[in-house]
Amino acid sequence: MNTPTICCAALFSLAMAAGCGRPFDVKTAPGFVELEGQAPSYDYRATTPEGVVVSVRAIDNADDRGDVAFWTRAITLQLRDASGYALLDSADVTSKDGTKGKKLTFGHDEDGKPYTYTVTFFMAQKRIFLVEAGGTKAQMDHAHASVAWMEQEVRVKCGSFVAPVLASHTCNRW
Amino acid sequence: MLIYTAHLTMAVYQTEPGLSAVERVAREVGGYLATRSDTEITIRVPRGVFDDAVRRIALAGDVVHKEVTAQDVTDEVVDLEIRLKNARNMRDRLAELLKRAAVKEALEIEKELGRVTEEVERIEGRLKLLSDKVAFSTITVTFAARGPGALRDMPLRLPFPWLSELGLPRLLSLHEGAP
Repeated sequence: MNTPTICCAALFSLAMAAGCGRPFDVKTAPGFVELEGQAPSYDYRATTPEGVVVSVRAIDNADDRGDVAFWTRAITLQLRDASGYALLDSADVTSKDGTKGKKLTFGHDEDGKPYTYTVTFFMAQKRIFLVEAGGTKAQMDHAHASVAWMEQEVRVKCGSFVAPVLASHTCNRW
Repeated sequence: MLIYTAHLTMAVYQTEPGLSAVERVAREVGGYLATRSDTEITIRVPRGVFDDAVRRIALAGDVVHKEVTAQDVTDEVVDLEIRLKNARNMRDRLAELLKRAAVKEALEIEKELGRVTEEVERIEGRLKLLSDKVAFSTITVTFAARGPGALRDMPLRLPFPWLSELGLPRLLSLHEGAP
C-alpha cells in the first residue's frame, strides 16, 4: 500500500472507532445507555433504566428550505393541533457548536399519566437535526439535568480541520 | 334573548386535574356541573359570568380550539308566548263550555281540553327550557386531539413525512437491531 492509501484507511478506521458516520456529535450522559441499531428510524437513541429516552435524527433538507420559524410552526401544528399535545414552552437554544435552534416542550397524557416530550432542532449542513426527549413527567423532571446536558452537547457542525468533503458527512469526533 | 354556548378543545395533558379545574371554576362563579366523563366535562354558568368563566377555564390547560356561539331565540320565545296565551284562552273557554255541556258533547270537549292542556304544558316546558338556557350558559371542555382532520382543514399538507413521525409512542418504543 502506498502512503495516501494507508492514511485514508487509518482515517476511516479512526472515524469508525470514534462513532462517526453520523453527521453530528452527541454525548451520552451518565445514567443513559446508547441503543444499537436504531437506523433508519433514529441516528442515535439512548435510554435510562426508567425509560427516559433521548434521540437524534438528521433529516435531509436540500437547499436549506424553511427557517427556524417555519419549522417551529410546522412541528407545533403537527403535535399540538393535530395530535393533542400541550405546548408548554418554546425557547431559543444554541448547540455546542453555536448553531441557533429552537426547543419546544410538550405535555401529553399516555394511559392517563402525564408525559413530557421535547423537540429541539437545529439547521445546518442542509439538514435538520432533531433532538427528541421524552418520558413520564416525573422521570423527565428527575433526569432533567442529564437530558439538558445531552441537548447542550450536540454538535451539528464539523471541526474546521476536517476536509470540506468529509465535513458534510461526518462530524467532530475526530 | 341569547343562548351562549362554548366548546373548548384542550390538549391531552394532565386531563384529570384539568377536568377538576373546570369543575372548580363552575362552582366558584355560581354555576354547576352538568356532566363529566374521563375526557369531557360540561358545566353551566350564569350568563353574566360566561366570558369570565371561559377565560378562567382557558388557564387550566392548552386550548387547541375554541368555539363560542350565541343563538338568538327572541323570535321563538315571542312566538311561544303568543301560542301559550292562545292555548290558555282556548283551555279556559273549553272549561267553561264543559260546565254547560250535555253528556255527549262533554266527551268531545274533554278530549279537546286534554289536547289543549297538553299543548299548554308543552309550550310552558319549552319556554322554561329556553329561559334556563338563556340564564345559564353551557360550556363543554373536551380533552382530545383534533386528529388529522385539523391538518386536513388546511389548504395544503406539508410533504415532510418526518413531521408525522414525531411523538412519544415512536420515541419510547425501544428496540435494538432491526425494528
